[in-house]
Amino acid sequence: MPDFEVRISGSGGQGILLAGRILADALGHEALNVAQSQSYEPTSRGGLSRADLVASDARVDYPLASDLDYLVILDDIAATASNDLLRQDSLVVVDSPLAELCELNGHEVRYLPISETARALGDLRSTNMVALGALTSLAGFCSQDKLLAAVTRVAPAKLHAAATRAILKGYAITEF
Amino acid sequence: MNEAGKQFNIRDYLREYLFPHFLCPGCGHGIALRALLWAIDELDIDKDRLAFVSGIGCSGRLGAYIDANTFHVTHGRPLAFATGLKLARPDLEVIVITGDGDCLAIGGNHLIHACRRNLNITCMMLNNEVYGMTGGQVSPTTSSERYTTTTPYGNHEPVFDACALAEAAGAGMVGREITLQTPGLKDVLRQGLAHEGFSFIEVMSDCTEVFGRKNDLGSSAEMVLTQKASVRPDFLEDAVDQPFRPHQIKTGVLAKNDRPEYAESWRRHIEAMKRERGHA
Amino acid sequence: MPDSAPTKTVNLPGNHACALGAIAAGCRFYAGYPITPSSEVAERMSVELPRVDGVFIQMEDEVASMGAILGASMGGMKVMTATSGPGFSLKQENIGYAAGAEIPCVIVNVMRGGPSTGLPTRPAQADVMQARWGTHGDHPIVVITPDSVPEIYAQTIRAFNLSEQLRVPVVMLYDEALGHLIEQVSLSGSGDIEIANRKWAADPKPEFQPYASGDDLIPEMVRPGDGFRTHTTGLTHAENGFPTQDPELVDQYMRRILDKLEIHNALIESFEAIDTEDADYLVVAFGITARAARRAIKQAREQGVRVGMFRPITLWPFPVAAFESIVGGKHGVLIAEMNAGQLITEIERYRPAGCRVDGLNRIDGETITPRQILNSLRELADNE
Repeated sequence: MPDFEVRISGSGGQGILLAGRILADALGHEALNVAQSQSYEPTSRGGLSRADLVASDARVDYPLASDLDYLVILDDIAATASNDLLRQDSLVVVDSPLAELCELNGHEVRYLPISETARALGDLRSTNMVALGALTSLAGFCSQDKLLAAVTRVAPAKLHAAATRAILKGYAITEF
Repeated sequence: MNEAGKQFNIRDYLREYLFPHFLCPGCGHGIALRALLWAIDELDIDKDRLAFVSGIGCSGRLGAYIDANTFHVTHGRPLAFATGLKLARPDLEVIVITGDGDCLAIGGNHLIHACRRNLNITCMMLNNEVYGMTGGQVSPTTSSERYTTTTPYGNHEPVFDACALAEAAGAGMVGREITLQTPGLKDVLRQGLAHEGFSFIEVMSDCTEVFGRKNDLGSSAEMVLTQKASVRPDFLEDAVDQPFRPHQIKTGVLAKNDRPEYAESWRRHIEAMKRERGHA
Repeated sequence: MPDSAPTKTVNLPGNHACALGAIAAGCRFYAGYPITPSSEVAERMSVELPRVDGVFIQMEDEVASMGAILGASMGGMKVMTATSGPGFSLKQENIGYAAGAEIPCVIVNVMRGGPSTGLPTRPAQADVMQARWGTHGDHPIVVITPDSVPEIYAQTIRAFNLSEQLRVPVVMLYDEALGHLIEQVSLSGSGDIEIANRKWAADPKPEFQPYASGDDLIPEMVRPGDGFRTHTTGLTHAENGFPTQDPELVDQYMRRILDKLEIHNALIESFEAIDTEDADYLVVAFGITARAARRAIKQAREQGVRVGMFRPITLWPFPVAAFESIVGGKHGVLIAEMNAGQLITEIERYRPAGCRVDGLNRIDGETITPRQILNSLRELADNE
């Protein structure tokens, strides 16, 4: 697999960084070298939050996102924030209520009911995990087993069951 | 006579090969050093375990003359250095020698927090009301109206009460004495050394050369006699028939508390944590 | 860490890797003051040190934390502090004391945008000159600048080794981007780490001279309590440790503390040369910028421009001999740095005749990208 770059973006408090850390751990167990960076501002309440991953089967040269292969958008504050880093063939996954706010002409875009699915699961806070499942399902950069195993290594124990359920729902919403 | 039955001889504690020393005739600092070494002798502290940390100024130069582990550090920072030294080496008896400029002006923040932490360090601050080493500039303890090389029209800043500051900040023991009462000064220092916690002792020293002369304060003897008249020793505290004036400066042991010593309480805290989490 | 600890690989941010490197190197005392973007070093040390019977203390200010580590170092511990921009400025006074009194210590400076409060959360590389000349007077100092999280870990260990062996302050200089970048790090098992310790004086004879040295120019250190009862001062001192103004003794002291780095250059010097042998052009870069250059030189070669990279790992003393041997015959050098042009002044001193030297400078709080380096390389090649 060639080097690739992923950005998960939303607002502070959505668990963006946790999603990034789980994905990085999973990719690491696919024998990839992964560099992670993230927004470094007081964003725990509102404000743009992003988790960036640069993965390579060789040593990662430039470890910061500069040319995104995959982008996830989970909040209106993130709707257009990463447009400069997109290519025409980048895959963009957008929480469907944000569709109107995004300016993604010509990109490969998937509008998915991510937050709606999380709400249906009874916890809007699992939006990040639904998104992670959906992204991994579409991108195929790691196996579902590895992703779920990463959850148990990275996430706090009390979240394991809910996160696993939400990730599986994320896979499910991509399958139609 | 110390606890081992030996007569105190200051020469046992000095690096005499560095003499003649740098102090001006009439300076009170030498008497303060004598009182400090006398107190150490009475407590029979091993010289190899003694660590003196001093800053910059006339006070800072005293350490070099002591036959012990001596550290002459940057201006105002002896308490910061001593904090690291004492935490790394709780077996050492760490003593800071500092001055009114070193301790209250450039090093004021370190004093406040050293008092607050209450680490087992003894801090002797020599207050001669002036920056002597640099030629006699005004300091935070210069008396009102005094002339210095930077107050050519008289000092108009209020005087810093270092002991009140130290007490308020939580120092385990606070004391003050004049050099004329050398045995009394020795006793206060001895109590400070023996106290488990941060001890702050202000020595009212005198600078005849660059401060006294500029203010017509007379000879060194006259200066210390003036000091004597201005202070109110703590042993007279209860003598109600004494007509004390309110502006008199208190001397003796001014405050003492039994707050936990920093390093010891920290060590207990960590050990308890380790037991609790099964790391021990 | 127990003695039998095996090597394990973990995802760590740069600042945590620095803390774990310090612990692995034997650091047992940390004093610091919170400052963005270095605070995670202190936070991790506050977790790790009590576990290894070390001491962590948050001091009242930057100056005090630098003073405290010097006190602890003279007490016999390996010590570290970490800071950034304004805090690095405040520490300079006591860094000078460490250089002059030859007290081993490691100072981490996670660079952010300046001057003054500047850009607390944004990366910069503008403390290149301050790291070398931040404190007054001629003085010895070693500055190490890693370019990845695993290298932060390894070079922090090396920083301790150099500091202890040479009795010199060592600065770990990296930028905010690396401080917060998360990468995989192999934490060495304790048996696999090469650890160097300071030389202790063992024989307290009356004629002992604490600042006398042999041919290695490095005096043995004395441990308080071992019976030496010596004097340590920031004043210029003779071999007996006491202040002197005798021109001959002053000169002897100054030359020794400066020369000691020169004679131990083989130990200190470190750099990485990538694809330099057949290169017509060189990029000189360090820290996060070197990571961008790694990609740019590959892309340039794909476009037919033969480019290599010279990356100083030890930034100061600058690896002059290595650089001169590599730069010879090159047509041009591009110095990419996130400042207005600091390292370039050093490079220009060693520029061979006929070699063009260009600077690529970014001072907007953003990192230099591979694309920018590629463009500058093309310009260098086109305008030659």
